Amino acid sequence: MSSLMGAAALMVQSDDAAAATEWAEHFQKNYRLMTDAEKAEARARLERRYSSEYGKKVAVDTTEAQPGVLMGYALNIRKCIGCRRCVHACVEENNQSRGTRPGEKIEWIQVLRMERGEFSKDKMNHGYPEGLGIQVGGNAYTPAGQVLEGQYHYNPEAVPEKDATYMPIACMQCEKPPCVKVCPVRTTYREADGPVVIDYNWCIGCKMCMNACPYWARRFNLTKPVLPKEEMNPVTHYLGNRPRMRGVVEKCHWCLQRTRHDRYPACVEVCPVGARKFGNLLDPESEVSKILERKNVFRLKAELNTFPKFFYFYD
Amino acid sequence: MKKLAIPTMILAFCCGMMTSALAQDSKAAAAQAPAAQPPQETVCFESRKGASEVTKRDLKPGWPNVKCSPKTGAALWYGDPYDGTVPMGKMPGLEKIPEGHAVIKPRTEKLALMPMCGVSCHNGVGPQFSPPTLPKGKKPVPLPTMEAMVPDLKDLQHGRGRIWCMDCHHTTKRNMLVDHFGDPVSFDQPQLLCGKCHGDKLRDWRDGIHGKRIGNFTSTGKKRWFTCTECHNPHNVQDGARNRGFVQLQPEASPQLPRGMKDASHEKLHPIAH
Ligand code: SF4
Ligand code: SF4
Repeated sequence: MSSLMGAAALMVQSDDAAAATEWAEHFQKNYRLMTDAEKAEARARLERRYSSEYGKKVAVDTTEAQPGVLMGYALNIRKCIGCRRCVHACVEENNQSRGTRPGEKIEWIQVLRMERGEFSKDKMNHGYPEGLGIQVGGNAYTPAGQVLEGQYHYNPEAVPEKDATYMPIACMQCEKPPCVKVCPVRTTYREADGPVVIDYNWCIGCKMCMNACPYWARRFNLTKPVLPKEEMNPVTHYLGNRPRMRGVVEKCHWCLQRTRHDRYPACVEVCPVGARKFGNLLDPESEVSKILERKNVFRLKAELNTFPKFFYFYD
Repeated sequence: MKKLAIPTMILAFCCGMMTSALAQDSKAAAAQAPAAQPPQETVCFESRKGASEVTKRDLKPGWPNVKCSPKTGAALWYGDPYDGTVPMGKMPGLEKIPEGHAVIKPRTEKLALMPMCGVSCHNGVGPQFSPPTLPKGKKPVPLPTMEAMVPDLKDLQHGRGRIWCMDCHHTTKRNMLVDHFGDPVSFDQPQLLCGKCHGDKLRDWRDGIHGKRIGNFTSTGKKRWFTCTECHNPHNVQDGARNRGFVQLQPEASPQLPRGMKDASHEKLHPIAH
């Protein structure tokens, strides 16, 4: 062990930032068990590594959860026009892989296209693949109510289309997250201000959480992430949008690098119809609290008792 | 014949200029003077195409004020949410927000002919730009009418025939809107006018439920508020040809298909039998 540490110390002197940090990273603790000094070390290490890798000054923030904040999200399901701007704003902000080969393109938000009028009486008995609404007679091979690829690969000239409703989904930041329960190395956990985060360094890539999540929120880095230098966002958070490595899972974390500093998430800021709302659930004056107080609100798959902090509402 | 043709041509030219300028399209207006703009400027739109354009520029090296979508020309990311904003001004119901924490992007400068509306035509004086458009001779010539300059007016899609121009525009100060008491309201504060009828929407907007705000999310933080006309075209809010409330937009690119799947309708064409 000590000889390994000695080797690591030697490597730190080398000019290659990646090689110098890799050793130290191997001995890094789970983020939640690190002392403040260890966190500062890890942060300095990563900043050095990323700055040399991306050819610009990269900041890795380690700001903790602020007391009195419980983040919440609300989305006006009547307003969304399915333009997918939120999907792409998220990619600009959060340093996802954006290659073209299979598995190299990662997006955290999915916008589902729902056919209107599926609940009409004459369509009640139409099973898959006729319609995508009420499904009857599903079985183990063709489960009822399944979301199909075609539902989020829609590509018309212009949106919103007639007879379509759009429903964006991403991580719901559950209060009782099944993904956290199953993680064998406990590297994904709920932060005190709400978001469920991942310490990418401890992720072993077993994908248990991807299986457990009922909202298809998690993505796996099957390949080495493709992130061009000039597109990389240098403002990062350790538990948020810092560049990931191959073989780890990632997902929406409500732009921790922004929201810990009182800035709206990127998707909220670009939605052209203002369907996306974000705020502090503990503040009765926040927009999300007002929505919960005044509007018709529902949680997706509420019957699973995951208690999402992401709410859908309509006027 | 030749003598007649020249003033007519001038008139036609002016008319064309005014039409495009008043069409609330700063881009089209700018296109009239191509020499003034460098060629490779990236301009993208925020909410309403043709009415909410922003020009991309670097705030510091490698950090733009806005990132634009190469596919649709939409604004995709804000480097500085307060870029180009001014304080909102007095707004009843928002007294709790600290001074300067509510900002807006002024609309007035985007309306190319706005400065002229207050000082010409409606007070009987011809526009101050040269060449003058009011006829010199006795021969009758066509003049650009309000309807020719703002084509939307011919078919006002707002209020289902129960309202007209002067319900929103000030009778004597044509570069201003009007509130319930007949007092002028700035084009930068349309919420003071729209709330006359749309009180429920105004209330939701004030609480951040309707419309859009960017910047700090805490309830007292500094925010850029999007005003009514940044998202809605007041002359065309209830176009029946639209599918749902909003003008249609081109969507951003769709996600990657799963490995081996050629197109998204694969499952429909090749269903697994029950
Ligand atoms: S939505 Fe999925 S990934 Fe997000 S917290 Fe819930 S279970 Fe975990
Ligand atoms: S940006 Fe807004 S309107 Fe567009 S898909 Fe996302 S939520 Fe819907």
